[in-house]
Amino acid sequence: MTLLNSFRTAVLGLSGNKLRAVLTALGVIIGVASVIATLALGNGARAAVESNFRFLGSDQIQIDAQLRFKESSGETKLAGKSMSYEDGLLMPDEVPLVDRVEMTVQTQGKVRQGRVVLDMTIVGTTVDQLATLAQSSQVQPVHWPEGKPLTVEAFLGQGRFFTPAEVSDGAAVCVLGYQTALDLFEGDDPLGQLVWVNRKPCEVIGVVTELETVEAAQRLRSKPNEGFYLPISTAIRNLYANEPSVSITAHVTDQTRMDEAKAQVTNFLRQRHNVVADAEGNYNDDFYLLTKSDVLGAQQEAARTFSLLLTALAVVALIVGGIGIMNVMLVSVTERTREIGVRLAVGARRRDIVSQFLLEAILLSAVSGLLGIASGILAVPLAASLNNGIALLDPTSIPLSFSVALLTGVIFGLYPALRAARLDPIEALRYE
Amino acid sequence: MNAWLIETEELTRTYRVGTTDVHALRGVSMQVASGEFVALMGPSGSGKSTMMHLLGCLDTPTAGRYALESRDVSRLTVDERAYVRNRRIGFVFQTFNLLARLSALDNVMLPLLYRGRVTDAKRRALEALRRVGLEQRAQHRPMELSGGERQRVAIARALITDPALILADEPTGNLDSQTGKEIMQLLIELSTAGRTIIMVTHDASVAASAQRVVHMRDGQIVTG
Repeated sequence: MTLLNSFRTAVLGLSGNKLRAVLTALGVIIGVASVIATLALGNGARAAVESNFRFLGSDQIQIDAQLRFKESSGETKLAGKSMSYEDGLLMPDEVPLVDRVEMTVQTQGKVRQGRVVLDMTIVGTTVDQLATLAQSSQVQPVHWPEGKPLTVEAFLGQGRFFTPAEVSDGAAVCVLGYQTALDLFEGDDPLGQLVWVNRKPCEVIGVVTELETVEAAQRLRSKPNEGFYLPISTAIRNLYANEPSVSITAHVTDQTRMDEAKAQVTNFLRQRHNVVADAEGNYNDDFYLLTKSDVLGAQQEAARTFSLLLTALAVVALIVGGIGIMNVMLVSVTERTREIGVRLAVGARRRDIVSQFLLEAILLSAVSGLLGIASGILAVPLAASLNNGIALLDPTSIPLSFSVALLTGVIFGLYPALRAARLDPIEALRYE
Repeated sequence: MNAWLIETEELTRTYRVGTTDVHALRGVSMQVASGEFVALMGPSGSGKSTMMHLLGCLDTPTAGRYALESRDVSRLTVDERAYVRNRRIGFVFQTFNLLARLSALDNVMLPLLYRGRVTDAKRRALEALRRVGLEQRAQHRPMELSGGERQRVAIARALITDPALILADEPTGNLDSQTGKEIMQLLIELSTAGRTIIMVTHDASVAASAQRVVHMRDGQIVTG
């Protein structure tokens, strides 16, 4: 029998009882749809983690002070010492695998120019602030063409950014965000002008270009243009009475030795902060280190749990669907015993009968699979609304779930098909 | 060389029902020449249906030998028998046995479906329908046809493979006497044109149309 004829025969066989076919398909439809929806949840979680930690390059260790929640007072406090500017300055020399560090401090301050006074967040930073912005992929210059790689230069609107010497010497210079410059100078050229930060003067040497968040959805909430940047040493000297807590990002020379680098940084900071082992040999560190592989590792752990859940769900739904297919095919074989007898009498071989009924089962599961894929795609926004908007259709889930549906058809269609082929033509022709 | 189209030697068929053996055929030897029109008669339980199933390669004998066109077909496998049925034998049943969801044309083409690619299947089916006078009804479903028309479609289905042998099992049993006569007329025409036909019937007036009548009783041939 040719393939086209087999296909025609199978379609004809199924069209005999459409309602029953659709009801049978329901199990597989639900199975396939839930596979797609669940994979979308996992995929969405992965995408969310990736976009939240995009700023963290794979050669970087993020170092922050450890915070501890105190139940007695209900406050969150530093666990020990904070990260100091000096910690960061010494690190490249003292830790062999770290070749440079970026540091930032943030505080609220008053910025005055003429009669304009702004209350705003002041960022004290090292020379790489613009590069960090570019790497973060969170913001971009407005009207930036999609897909074009971001460069550090593209972030500078006017003037220049700090030099290493200005950063280390605490020079009285500053760089303004686009909106900050507009607010302070109301359209006049700010370059070379003086502004006052908490009553200390500094000269404007640059303005960041107008920025927007990469994700359009965040544009109403975030204000990337209200920036005010000082060299970190200047900020610490002028804005803080005490030693501030510094956020440090260490760049490691060799990406393949991240664990070694973390161990070196840990040793360095334990010495600096006088953290000693307790009686059981445990260290009560007052800092914590975060690398991209830490984040991804945690994410992969979550993904494993997810896939386990998914497997259980898919298996149950598809077994139910498969049993439905087997049932409907067994009924179909019984109802069509005489037809099978006629086909055998005119010369159908056993394998012709097997392929006829197997093809029907596969066709049934294929149609169910397609309907399941459609419902699964429609279910993704629903799943997202139940999961803080985190669900993203995983394109690979479509061929995957479809093949699983087909496989279900083959497995559960085989027994009824074999039973049909085993019929004795004489008995089958006599069947009433 | 053997000239018989069909030659059976001591054909025996025993069924096991529960713990007892039922002897449906007890050593039947018969010969049919090519082009003969033979009626197989006998009361129910005489073994004529069993004989028909063996001649049609739907069943295999417990003992004995059956040669169709000088080829021993009594020890073939399931699929080999399917091949013989498909190429050399056409069946006409009392209850027509057409597939309800297929058109008359598709019903007639059914045997060719199991031959792989047959490019002129439709032309041959139309020709077979024309032979039985139903080419105008090719697209009708069996439900839309009268009993006589249904049996004509079934005969066309038996003819399409150009078989060596047509086996008709009570072909007029479900028809009124006038329609039955028309169907018999068609079979006689086919016989006259050279077809070999073996017809099972218990109706003596129907059997009278055949050239030879073989009477069976208790699994054996009585006369013929």
